[in-house]
Amino acid sequence: IKQWLNQIHPWETVTKAAMQKYPNPMNTSVFGVDVLDRNVDQRGRLHSKRLLSTEWGLPSIVRSIIGNARTCTYIQEHSVVDPKEKTFELQSTNITFTNMVSVDERLIYRPHPEDPEKTMLTQEAIISVKGVSLSSYLEGLMASSISSNAGKGREAMEWVIRRLNTEIEELAITARGTLRTPMAAAAVTEK
Amino acid sequence: MNSVGEGCTELKREYDQCFNRWFAEKFLKGDRSADPCSELFLKYHTCVQKAIKEKDIPIEGVEFMGPNREKADS
Repeated sequence: IKQWLNQIHPWETVTKAAMQKYPNPMNTSVFGVDVLDRNVDQRGRLHSKRLLSTEWGLPSIVRSIIGNARTCTYIQEHSVVDPKEKTFELQSTNITFTNMVSVDERLIYRPHPEDPEKTMLTQEAIISVKGVSLSSYLEGLMASSISSNAGKGREAMEWVIRRLNTEIEELAITARGTLRTPMAAAAVTEK
Repeated sequence: MNSVGEGCTELKREYDQCFNRWFAEKFLKGDRSADPCSELFLKYHTCVQKAIKEKDIPIEGVEFMGPNREKADS
């Protein structure tokens, strides 16, 4: 499944937001995000390995197969931010339930080729279902879920960007009312 | 946002705050100076690794490189 989406904000804004994507009201299944490792490579690119803890509402028909026990699933994500090339690439795969299903996602945010003030997201998902007789049902379910999630993804970004802008506003208001700190001053000039 | 290790959430938040600030104000603007968050990350990382072991989460091949160590291009 491949999708292209446009964000109406510049790449830096979208990348900042995407790095802080969770929590947001559109992705309620993600309840934990942890950074496992992070480093800058020789080309100046930031690599991050993260663990996403999710609780997705499985349809009851799947629950009856795997049992009610654990509906918690873990996703490992590797991302690379290249501030020179202006790309933010994320790859993720589930590391639990791998004997049943494999969901690999790849997202790339880069400035829109036609308008550098906008961002383009290319998103790809490869889903394979193993050894479950209801495979076509499950694949269809996940495909439509991923499609609708892509739209939700853009809403989620908008939400995070608004939230970050509000924080900057609040800092600016505080700065006007009190003595300026270097941090607040930086926030005011950024706005 | 919480950490997978319930006891690590506070450490995570402190590290995240430090990282997000450096990421937005330095890294994305082309400033190559290293992030000042290594100590915070180490504390947080130790806590999370413990939680991951306890919960038996099958993490694939993560070696602690540290936030500032230069890594050969993979």
